[in-house]
Amino acid sequence: MLEFINVNPNNGDPIYKQLQEQTVRLIVGGQLAVGEELPSVRKIAEHFAVNPMTVSRAISQLVDQGWLERRRGQPTRVAPQTTMQTNEQQDSLLFNAADQLIQQATQLGVSQTALLQLIKKRWK
Amino acid sequence: MENPLLSYKNIVKTINSKTILKGISLDIHAGMVIGLLGKNGAGKTTLLRSALGLVTPDSGEVSVFSNPSNALSTSSKEKIGYVPQHAFGYEGFTIDDALELHSSFYPQWDKQLQEKWLTRFELSASSAVNNLSIGQRQTLALIMAMAYRPQLLILDEPVASLDPIARREFMSDLFDLALDAGSGIIFSSHITSDIERVASHIALIKDGELLLFNEQDAVRETIRKVTFSDPNIDLSAFKILSRQANSAIIEHYNNQDIEGALTVTSLSLEQLFVELHT
Repeated sequence: MLEFINVNPNNGDPIYKQLQEQTVRLIVGGQLAVGEELPSVRKIAEHFAVNPMTVSRAISQLVDQGWLERRRGQPTRVAPQTTMQTNEQQDSLLFNAADQLIQQATQLGVSQTALLQLIKKRWK
Repeated sequence: MENPLLSYKNIVKTINSKTILKGISLDIHAGMVIGLLGKNGAGKTTLLRSALGLVTPDSGEVSVFSNPSNALSTSSKEKIGYVPQHAFGYEGFTIDDALELHSSFYPQWDKQLQEKWLTRFELSASSAVNNLSIGQRQTLALIMAMAYRPQLLILDEPVASLDPIARREFMSDLFDLALDAGSGIIFSSHITSDIERVASHIALIKDGELLLFNEQDAVRETIRKVTFSDPNIDLSAFKILSRQANSAIIEHYNNQDIEGALTVTSLSLEQLFVELHT
């Protein structure tokens, strides 16, 4: 899974958030299957050359949110998902990108209708 | 909370009638990796050296392991690792001889760790220190400062001359030290992407003052650049770190709406660093 994730320290988002978001993307997108094992915190930290505390924070949040499950003495795995959880997440994963698009449209004086039309036109 | 490993209280230092440090207070606890940022001449080196008793502040207190830093016992000194900006003696020695002598000062020296690092960083024990490149000297200095697993590690621009691969490996060694051995680490660097990867906390010195000190994640989540056209915009809910005619860097942001703001954007460390110095 590590090859699918890209940590960019120069991005304004905290590294734990980048890890967390991209992992959710992989789960929602189906690249990470239910039951799949994650590498250990140390392995992940070494791979990205980041602080293990950061990785551990991302994983704990993913466990709290129900994306991953941790059982004592076993590797962390991808937890079974409900359809509702996945649908909700598909929306919220696009919030940031949508907000940016809307912001740029407002700056350029593009109306909501015009923006929606543009999206329709560009949608392949 | 446990006593800090290193504690600065209100440090003031004037050198050549220029006040370098204007009342800096900072505590370093076990497990912290503090990335110290500041322009050249901001006082980073002076601050780091004062922890070792190499610089005596005009006022304020520096304590290491709860003792004044200018009166450290030998056993305290054995628990501190320091890599200065410019290494270093041992001219005319081979690496092997230099390490032999150096390790004799530290009862806790781990010979296996030394060997592991020599191999990993491709240093040959029989090479003469004189013939080493700057990067290799820096690596050797790091081995000398870390092979006894110091409780407090002070690094002044430690990785500037290392190649990217050696830098990454060295950083994962730093984590091992901070997390496994419960050490505290403070290191200054200009390479903001290194600090972003490694540091648990960010400390930023500007004009002799500690402008910013927080967990790195908190820095990213609560600091924003705001742009606006009306200079009378109400930013009283925030701490203002710097302000221009049409923009400001604010701290304590918590996703609230800011009336009159054109944009609210997060910043990478490098952007933040540059913004705070314009």
